[in-house]
Amino acid sequence: MKRNWLTIALILIMAVSIIAGIPACGDNDDKAPTPAQTPIVTQSSPTPESTSVSVLPGKGRLRVATTTSLYDTGLWGYLEPMFEKKYGVELDVINVGSGIALKYGENGDVDVLTVHDKAAELKFIADGFGKERTIFAYNHFLIVGPADDPAGIKGMLPEDAFKKLAETGAATFVSRGDNSGTHSKEKAIWKAAGYDYAAIEKTGRWYVEAGQGMGPTLTMADEKQGYTLTDIGTFLAFEGKINLVPIVDQGSILLNVYSVIPVTKTKKPEMAQNMVNFLTSPEIQRLIGDYGVVQYGQPLFIPCAGQPEPTS
Amino acid sequence: MALVELVNLGQQFQGNVILEAINLKVERGEAFALIGPTGAGKTTLLRLIDLLDSPVKGQIYFDGVDVTRSGRKRLAARRRMAYVQQKPIVFSMNVYDNVACGLKWRHQERKAIRKKVEEALELVSMADYQSRDAKTLSGGETQLVAIARALVTEPEMLLLDEPTANLDPVSTSKIESVLARIIQETRTTILMATHDMSQGQRLAQMIGVLMEGKLVQIGQKSEIFEKPLNLKVAGFVGMQNILKGVITSNEDGVVSIDVRGKLIEAISDYQAGEEVCVCIRPEDIALSFSKPSSSARNAFEGEIKSIISSGPLASVELDCGFPLVALMTVRSAKEMELGIGKRIFASFKATAVHVVKS
Amino acid sequence: MANPCSYPALASLNQHHSNRNAKVLLSELWDSIVKAIHLLVSLDHDVYEVAWRSLWIALASCGISFLLISLPLGSLIHFNRFPGKMILITLIQTLFSLPTVAVGLIVFMFISRSGPLGEFGLLFTPKGMIIGQIILVTPVTMGLVISALTGVDKAVPETATALGASRLQASLITITEAKFAMMTAFVMGFGRAISEVGVSLMVGGNIRGYTRTLTTAISLETAKGEIEFSLALGFILILIAVVVNVALLLLGRKRGPIRWLWSSS
Repeated sequence: MKRNWLTIALILIMAVSIIAGIPACGDNDDKAPTPAQTPIVTQSSPTPESTSVSVLPGKGRLRVATTTSLYDTGLWGYLEPMFEKKYGVELDVINVGSGIALKYGENGDVDVLTVHDKAAELKFIADGFGKERTIFAYNHFLIVGPADDPAGIKGMLPEDAFKKLAETGAATFVSRGDNSGTHSKEKAIWKAAGYDYAAIEKTGRWYVEAGQGMGPTLTMADEKQGYTLTDIGTFLAFEGKINLVPIVDQGSILLNVYSVIPVTKTKKPEMAQNMVNFLTSPEIQRLIGDYGVVQYGQPLFIPCAGQPEPTS
Repeated sequence: MALVELVNLGQQFQGNVILEAINLKVERGEAFALIGPTGAGKTTLLRLIDLLDSPVKGQIYFDGVDVTRSGRKRLAARRRMAYVQQKPIVFSMNVYDNVACGLKWRHQERKAIRKKVEEALELVSMADYQSRDAKTLSGGETQLVAIARALVTEPEMLLLDEPTANLDPVSTSKIESVLARIIQETRTTILMATHDMSQGQRLAQMIGVLMEGKLVQIGQKSEIFEKPLNLKVAGFVGMQNILKGVITSNEDGVVSIDVRGKLIEAISDYQAGEEVCVCIRPEDIALSFSKPSSSARNAFEGEIKSIISSGPLASVELDCGFPLVALMTVRSAKEMELGIGKRIFASFKATAVHVVKS
Repeated sequence: MANPCSYPALASLNQHHSNRNAKVLLSELWDSIVKAIHLLVSLDHDVYEVAWRSLWIALASCGISFLLISLPLGSLIHFNRFPGKMILITLIQTLFSLPTVAVGLIVFMFISRSGPLGEFGLLFTPKGMIIGQIILVTPVTMGLVISALTGVDKAVPETATALGASRLQASLITITEAKFAMMTAFVMGFGRAISEVGVSLMVGGNIRGYTRTLTTAISLETAKGEIEFSLALGFILILIAVVVNVALLLLGRKRGPIRWLWSSS
């Protein structure tokens, strides 16, 4: 049988793929190219300015499960190379809702969490899955809707706005419906407004459960000319793409605090702690505060590490 | 000791009996033709002999060893035989690789393979076809490649199932000459199945007649063709004239048989009063316009009913009180100016008449 | 792709029209194709990285599934008789329609650190994705391998046997005679692997630079509202699939590649 170059080329590619693909123990890096490979950094003694850096042997990987609003706004993409360079590890950022992130932490599939659902976080730690909760930034949620405000809730307090929406049932409200931090906040507002959430879900077709991330939820609310609860970051990132405008943005209940939690079951506790140190370090805090100003005209996150937890 | 011996072999398929009570011995170096009509069971028998299928009854011995059941012995025996199927398939490779298959599977050396393949292709006159894609060959060429493919493994026994059944006359004669060469030049035992009894007569020495799953007659080719054992065989081996009659007398082996009022003389042991069938080959009948004065004891006048030519031969059908078919060349028929309706004399020797119990 | 600043040109292309009509849609599609070409020609690093990952993960999954699992097992099933053979084949064909997310979920549960195979650390790695894709793709390749073998004339293994081939040798030549159909089996498996999202997303985690593939990137960019970019990635995926399929199918041909592609028969 004649061999031709095509056969050889494909056999080679296949062989390389299979060799690279055959599962082996351990979670070390594979042969696929990764961007910006930095050389291994070892520091035997701590430098006076930065906190001690412990480096994993070889090129290890640290897994962070993050809430989508930190990722989809691009903050993680921005910070990731900095962390990788400083600590000489590959950072795997997994972008899921807070609910899923906490579940991953429970299983021990990730090493650190950055989430924004205080009640769930406290339970997480109380159950022993997380070491401790360190806040590092905050912003606010807001209720957005169509410019003509069909439900007439502009300028109200969030609890009152929700009450009006539930009572009239005329305007559409799109919920995340995915147990994310945003969804938890929404549920908290319903509770504060005096409603049982399970009842709200069943009231009528005006209440829509998207079951998706913030971006698709905003898009859906836009299509349906309805209202939704969103974090400021994703909303600003979607500004050109949708026609919704801020409707309700005052109210202490809209506070949105982000915290970082090292997972108890991690195999890399020191590197996980490094992440905490990193996010709360002064230079990164400053960068977080400046993030988005140029592009959106306002900061997306307000740094607050080391300060008492904001209440409004 | 016979190379292949079949003892009381029987085969069934889906409840139907295909072969029954087959007893056969094929000697080393023999050229054996298995003839019989389509559907008689020839292919089934060949497959049993090549050990591709297992019989439901009886035993098969190859070179003295019972190979009816055992797997390993069958594989070993099968590797000493080669089987060319009726419509052989070639693999999707060139002719050289096709022919070399059997040798590659026996893990032979490349140089040795090359030599043998080239010799085999030479033997079947296909030496120039080495790098041709085997799937593009014609029917006859495919058959030759299949034969070469079988031969190259130097089998002790070559089995051929209807080697020229689907071929035109030119390819047929080419293959027959190749087979004749093989039979003459090599010591390979050949067992070939064909429905063409004249082919069997041309190529083989021993003939077995298989009809309806039974081997009705085995013998030298002259025996079969001149002395068929019964009516069915007679019809099959080309004794086209088969007439019923009663023996009127027997004097020293010379009998007179009454066939529709006419008397035919023949050589036979049957006694007067017995009902028999008279069989005469068409080529043994001579035609003439004048009453023959030759030594032919049988001469009858009759009217030409039809003249059918096929190729160089013409079948002339006469009515002499009983129907007779004579065979002659078309040229002779023209020269004699035979025509329908003409009255003519048909004569044949007593020795040409074969008497069979009816 | 997470950093909006990496695509300055993209920002200017992001126009979301609330009144979508056919003309707008067509122009968006066209812009996506143009974007796709631009990304390819400018050798955009992120896109190539993600495209290469899609390609090699799919090739590895399909290669392992086809060569190490489906070909031997499929041949065994085809060439042997055993009770329940038809049920088994029917079952394999039913599994063609395994939902990718379901497979992703089940694999996730197995290789999560809290699952039975947790200690191998396969979750959120390309190796885990390959395992998941193998599970997804194997019914397809095996079913089609068996179908390919069934399509070979029975005379082939019989002729081989008559020429003295052992059972293994006769099986091998049958496989060779089914070359084209085998190639199709591989191509179908590859198509399923490279175009699936469920397994890659659940098991891989869509980690930038590590487990992100074209399909998971498309899902991410769509969620971020980057419609044009998503479509551009989609076109690139189709392009890869076309190139690989054509290359694979050309392998079985006897004529030269150009003539074969252009022939009308």
